[in-house]
Amino acid sequence: MSTAMSLHQRRKRKNGVMMALCVIAAGIGLAWLALILGALVYKGLSGLSLAVFTEMTPPPGEAGGLLNAIYGSIVMTIIGIVVGTPIGVLAGTYMAEYGRFSKLTTVVRFINDILLSAPSIIVGLFVYELMVRPMGHFSAIAGAVALSILVIPVVVRTTEDMLNLVPNALREAGTAIGAPRWVVIRSVAYRAALSGIVTGILLAIARISGETAPLLFTALNNQFWSSNLNAPMASLPVTIFQFALSPYEEWQQLAWTGALIITLTVLGLSIFARSLTGRREDR
Amino acid sequence: MSAVSEAVTSSGARTREAIVRRFALTDTIFRTATRLSAILVLVLLGGVAISLITGSWQALSKFGFSFLTTESWNPVTENFGALAPIYGTIVTSAIAILIAVPIGIGIAVFLTELCPRPLRRPIGIAVELLAGIPSIIYGIWGLFVFAPFLQTTVQPFVIWLFHGIPGLNGLFAGPPYGIGMLTSSLILAIMVLPFITSITKDVFDTVPSVLKESAYGIGCTTWEVTRRVVIPYTRVGIMGGVMLGLGRALGETMAVTFVIGNAHRISASLFAPGTTISATIANEFTEADGELYTSSLVALGLILFIITFIILAIARYMLLRIDSKAGA
Amino acid sequence: MKPMLSTDLNVADTTVEKAKIEVKDLNFYYGQSKALKGINLSLPERSVTAFIGPSGCGKSTLLRVLNRIYELYPKQTAEGQVLLDGKNILDRSQDLNLLRTKIGMVFQKPTPFPMSIYENIAFGVRLYEKISKAEMDNRVEQALKRAALWTEVKDKLNASGLSLSGGQQQRLCIARTVAVKPEVILLDEPASALDPLSTAKIEELIDELQADYTIVIVTHNMQQAARVSRQTAFMYLGELIEFDRTEKIFTSPREKRTQDYITGRFG
Repeated sequence: MSTAMSLHQRRKRKNGVMMALCVIAAGIGLAWLALILGALVYKGLSGLSLAVFTEMTPPPGEAGGLLNAIYGSIVMTIIGIVVGTPIGVLAGTYMAEYGRFSKLTTVVRFINDILLSAPSIIVGLFVYELMVRPMGHFSAIAGAVALSILVIPVVVRTTEDMLNLVPNALREAGTAIGAPRWVVIRSVAYRAALSGIVTGILLAIARISGETAPLLFTALNNQFWSSNLNAPMASLPVTIFQFALSPYEEWQQLAWTGALIITLTVLGLSIFARSLTGRREDR
Repeated sequence: MSAVSEAVTSSGARTREAIVRRFALTDTIFRTATRLSAILVLVLLGGVAISLITGSWQALSKFGFSFLTTESWNPVTENFGALAPIYGTIVTSAIAILIAVPIGIGIAVFLTELCPRPLRRPIGIAVELLAGIPSIIYGIWGLFVFAPFLQTTVQPFVIWLFHGIPGLNGLFAGPPYGIGMLTSSLILAIMVLPFITSITKDVFDTVPSVLKESAYGIGCTTWEVTRRVVIPYTRVGIMGGVMLGLGRALGETMAVTFVIGNAHRISASLFAPGTTISATIANEFTEADGELYTSSLVALGLILFIITFIILAIARYMLLRIDSKAGA
Repeated sequence: MKPMLSTDLNVADTTVEKAKIEVKDLNFYYGQSKALKGINLSLPERSVTAFIGPSGCGKSTLLRVLNRIYELYPKQTAEGQVLLDGKNILDRSQDLNLLRTKIGMVFQKPTPFPMSIYENIAFGVRLYEKISKAEMDNRVEQALKRAALWTEVKDKLNASGLSLSGGQQQRLCIARTVAVKPEVILLDEPASALDPLSTAKIEELIDELQADYTIVIVTHNMQQAARVSRQTAFMYLGELIEFDRTEKIFTSPREKRTQDYITGRFG
């Protein structure tokens, strides 16, 4: 009787200890992450002003803004999305529709999943070899291509997943009134999967808007305003990288502010993307 | 034949034939476009591999196998070896995983078993959102906040603590720079934590509730259910998540570049500066003059590509297995 | 045991109109397994034919052969002949989209497209016909009236098709099928997901539609088959056991297995 009691108590105590450890783990993990965001807001906010959005990146030791870097980020992100999205959507369409039962789909899915988590600096090296070296100079367009290569796997994955959620009955119904396959895909399947696919695209934007490594040796950086796609172009992440590692206080401050802007953008996009699919699940 | 269809077949049969032919054509075009896009995904990965091999050919043919075993990295004498970055990459990632896995699993257990219901979703979403924060943010925080903190408080204390203990005093030897291998590992651990947590939580959710309920039904405590039912059931999925986190840590560039110190040497002390493959490339690529220097950096990229490809392939294979298990 | 041949039936039943669809020696395979074994039957024009039988007997499979919807999936093959107005639709040269405009289909679960009520119907019409807005409005109205849905939806044609109730959605699907002016309508357990009231409406509709269309309905509900169909085919384990006028099947079947099934001894 007493041994049974003590065994029970030992088990209970062990449970208590382990559960406490889990709570502590959660506490540590979340607190740590909160600490980072807190520091970011604290350091970033103090430098946030209108000048950040209206002035160019300054030379060392002077005040300025991040306009050309923000502009460059937006331009390259847009091109990256415009190039990467159609390819990703089409490839995902093949996997979920025409090629649903084919071997090619299995292989592409596996390779795509690897591309999805492949180090982005590798993509930078690839585009360097593919474009920068043959062209002989760094360029915004090379940066945009590097970003589009990061967009493709994200969009492929979500497109395939979302199209797979569209019930087959709907495809059969479209086919049964005489619509050819591509019309069924365009007018029925895409429509049914729309919010999911848009979510994927938003997540892709969120991902590339903070990417630094693939831009380092494709778009490089540019101290000045440039809208020439065939020339080096500034971007927010690369500017942050350069400014943060500099010894100048003004630059460091701008780096923090830029980091805050990126984080808010990425979080905003992710939350918006999630709210789209959230509504979908409720329906 | 019915009256309605008669009208159609007499007047519209020919146009219908034409429309059908057009449909067949557009469908073929669309199908081909989707197929080519799918193939392009394969071509991309193939292209990455080929470009890395051709780009690194000069370095590999000059140094051969010794590229992997040489520690020296000297741009002046043009003598390059990848040992230090490989060592740094593997050690920082390994330590990061060792720290992040228990905490990540702990958080996942907390979220699935202990957390009050109304908090579950917000915390789960918060964890997933944090997985999407760009790595440069972790880097800048590591450089300006975390490293100075380690330098002034933690590192001096640890050095003092292990002073005179054989083995440990070498591992934690001064001077306290703040930046270095251990700092990088800690930053990496924070970065992969949301990843591991959210995948572990997802695979925990695949455990059928009847299984857990029957374990609770025979009087198991929460810990016993977790230890004896949930973790064994999801072992493969957790391993997949860990491998995925490891793949990310190995290839992580920006967060590490800020805090590793970029020193091409292998030190016994974890407080010493070091370098990783990706940090070396990020730091030196644009400044590399000379074909051989650039080629050596691309060769580093090739090594990273091969390592991560293997790790990620294993990870995906494991996650695939748990997916089919959950689907069955 | 030799199944009843359709030709025997036609001889026995001279009052039946000419055959719209004739199935000859049809075999069907899912990969290696044979799901339909030597089916022979002929479906008379402008009347309702019901396929009944226990689940897995092949009645839905047979229906899905008639518009070749099975072609969406790999490893499903049909051999034999299915003649629509004397032309073999299993022929490789048969255009599938064209075939499906002639043979419409309504499914077990309502499948409104993710678009407005109006668009649900206009979508199919627009595929093959270029008509003015006014004509289209008229077509949509006629189709909805035909499906006895017009009065319920005429004020909200722009609302999503998904906003309708299950019974209304199913009638929308019938309207959509009717709108493209098919010759044959296939119904795959069209009322199995609906409440009794909606079921009654669908059955009423089927009764009206047979004046203009050849209708084939698969149902697991024997009362329903008895109520709506003129002839009934009883299938079992991939074979056509018996095919005859509905009252004959339900009152004095020739086969013992048919007898057993309709009296509820198995299935």
